[in-house]
Amino acid sequence: MMLKLFNPPVSGGRLLAALLLAGLLAACDAAVPQPELGVARAKADQCVEPTGDMRRNHMQYLLTHRDETVIEGIRTTQHSLVECVNCHVAPVRADGSAVHYPDKDHFCASCHTYAGVKIDCFQCHADRPQVMDNPDYPHPLSANRYHQLASGGGTTVSLSDMLAVSGMGSGSTAGEVRP
Amino acid sequence: MSDGLQQVPQRNQVDAYRRHFMAAVTGAATLATLAPGVILREASAATRPDVTARPPEQPATSVVRWGMLIDTARLGDGGAAMVAACRREHGWGHDPRASPEQQPQWVRTVRVTDKLTQHSFTLPVMCQHCEHPPCVDVCPTGASMKRADGIVQVNKHICIGCRYCMMACPYKARSFVHEPLTDQRPHSPRGMGTVESCNLCVHRIDTGRIPACAEAAPQAVIFGDLNDPDSRISQAVQALGGTQIRADLDLNTGVRYLNI
Amino acid sequence: MSNTAIVYREVGEGRGFYLLLVLFGAVVAMGALAFFHLEHEGHHVTGMNNQIVWGLPHVFAIFLIVAASGALNVGSIGTVFRKPLYQPMGRLSALVAMALLLGWLVVLVLDLGHPDRLIVAMTHYNFKSIFAWNIILYNGFLALAGFYLWTMMDRQLKALYPYAGFAAFSWRLILTMGTGSIFGFLVVRQFYDSAIMAPLFIAMSFSFGLAVFILVLYAGFAWTRRPLGDVVLNRLRYLLAVFIGAALFLELMRHLANLYVTRRHGVEQFILSDGGIYTQLFWVGQVFLGALVPLSLIFCRRLVGNRLSLLVACVLVILGGFAQLYVILIGGQAYPLELFPGATVESTFFDGQISRYAPTVWEWMLGLGGVGISLLLVTVGVRVLRFLPVSLADEVLDSDDS
Repeated sequence: MMLKLFNPPVSGGRLLAALLLAGLLAACDAAVPQPELGVARAKADQCVEPTGDMRRNHMQYLLTHRDETVIEGIRTTQHSLVECVNCHVAPVRADGSAVHYPDKDHFCASCHTYAGVKIDCFQCHADRPQVMDNPDYPHPLSANRYHQLASGGGTTVSLSDMLAVSGMGSGSTAGEVRP
Repeated sequence: MSDGLQQVPQRNQVDAYRRHFMAAVTGAATLATLAPGVILREASAATRPDVTARPPEQPATSVVRWGMLIDTARLGDGGAAMVAACRREHGWGHDPRASPEQQPQWVRTVRVTDKLTQHSFTLPVMCQHCEHPPCVDVCPTGASMKRADGIVQVNKHICIGCRYCMMACPYKARSFVHEPLTDQRPHSPRGMGTVESCNLCVHRIDTGRIPACAEAAPQAVIFGDLNDPDSRISQAVQALGGTQIRADLDLNTGVRYLNI
Repeated sequence: MSNTAIVYREVGEGRGFYLLLVLFGAVVAMGALAFFHLEHEGHHVTGMNNQIVWGLPHVFAIFLIVAASGALNVGSIGTVFRKPLYQPMGRLSALVAMALLLGWLVVLVLDLGHPDRLIVAMTHYNFKSIFAWNIILYNGFLALAGFYLWTMMDRQLKALYPYAGFAAFSWRLILTMGTGSIFGFLVVRQFYDSAIMAPLFIAMSFSFGLAVFILVLYAGFAWTRRPLGDVVLNRLRYLLAVFIGAALFLELMRHLANLYVTRRHGVEQFILSDGGIYTQLFWVGQVFLGALVPLSLIFCRRLVGNRLSLLVACVLVILGGFAQLYVILIGGQAYPLELFPGATVESTFFDGQISRYAPTVWEWMLGLGGVGISLLLVTVGVRVLRFLPVSLADEVLDSDDS
């Protein structure tokens, strides 16, 4: 025997559904994390591909390029994961602590944890540029220049600079340079 | 000896023979020891570099076949410097959680002692980069592969970690990564659950440098293109030969040794 | 001769059924726990290393697949060889075969370094690799056994029953040859490298598969209080003896042939006398307990018709099978590779040494989890579908006295 305590204006089931939907909408709008672009923006205005293109297709570029590199030995830098990491990830934070993929402020993790897409790249690949053992690590920007830019000084780096990675070949720009 | 004067000239003659014999043997031995060095030095005087950088957009082709000649007699430390250089270059050997038997070893020094003669030597053993690699034959996904230029490597993107290639390799060249890794060398990715082995430092070869181990022992190791008759290594193997480990398996290895 | 049609019925509900579910479910849960631990921590938590690369989970896995192939035998004898006595057991035979195969699949895939790349293994094939062929063969076997089962259970497909049976039978012979060849094709391992591995594994599959099947059959009938006659049990009993003998004979041939090769004296001495645990498992586990004792239990005059002796024989055959696979798998890897024939070698990579292996609890859990999955599937299967005949008493059977 049910005890009726009050008369709801709408039936219980519909009310519940409405409340849930409202809650969902509110939650969806709340705090979609932006990827950690600070590190990269300090080096260049634009990624190797247009931003929208990258958002949709970066996985395809990586999947195609990895086969080219491993199986055929093609080492162009435009879609190289190593170069993505070089540009987008700083090896340490301001306080000197290391940045790794499991951390929320790692560039890749900042989107991938939100999207819920597990990647296994960094099971094998280094998730930050390596400077520890090798201070002369062949990054396109020398240590001085990078620090200059990070602290606000210096000029923006051109795309051709980014692509011309020392030690990775004749220095010819591979792939199209897009504005 | 109380032998008469007659014995003295005979003994002198024997001594003389002995002297001549020892001189001849010593001379031959010196020649044999110095000859490789002479050839190496002459060859290194050649202007052609061992490895030429390939433009990044150009794929590897079978025009080239990379090989390595190691003279164990000139190593001095049996290859320990080569092993150390490889560890530095690729970052293996100090996986924190693996037991000693689980530690990867891309190259190691092996001390060999013949059972009958007790003659012994030490040599560095790594992936031999066979022309007919058993590991490539048995890999179910094709992750264990031979690149067009002869380098045998693991495509870790499609390696499922079944370890069958490790069973098949005659040289025990392959290792399995038993734990999660971090801070890998960017040019040498390695990770948990995949199999790895010496890849002749492909990242160096493609950009015009020789492997780290060859660089660490330049007096004993020649690296180069076996398909090029004018390369230093081709001249060396033509003049001095070069033994394969387990030549009976007919795998036509790219890594050859002298004085084993 | 009986004119009664065989009636199949699902197993009824009862406390025993739920008890089995809980028991097998717990074993499966432990296997899952082991898998998650392995996936997270990496293989350093196992006893497997760079010298012994395949360990206890693989012993379980190979046993399961070999038994799976053999379990279908009973059905095949009924279908392909047209023996009416075996035909009522065909459905159960196919069920047990498929369940054991799924148990194999689970153990093997979960032990991979990258189980998440199973789809890669299904889409990238190196056709020179016998391992790749095995993946195709095992999945095909699952499909064929399923189809065979369908032709047995669906009247509309009865016409296809002989063809399905023949296809399943041939396929499983090729499959077991493939399993044996995983080892037989390894040229460089002195304990493997032999064409006899393929027929040896076929003989082992007959033996292990039938032993498992007899135990499942007996349990299925005893625990549901369905009559199981002596005629069928005796027929299976002597069939098991034939298979045990065949496996023993081929193993004997293998060792005799190896002993003729001077180069293999080292490994044979290791397995047959110097190998510590491997020698003990070979002689006591595989030969004595796994073959000689079961044969005497089956043939002893005082035990004729004795059901307990048959069941004990089956259990011993299974244990002996595990011992045999342990010796083959682990013993074959423990013996060092010969880098320089005629010389001793030593290195930091344990060259020239007999490799040591001690399985950890995680490997036991993973392996037993696979067994649990197989048993769970059989338990659920006989409950939900009509696999089990209502009666296999002597009167209802079409005995083909020959």
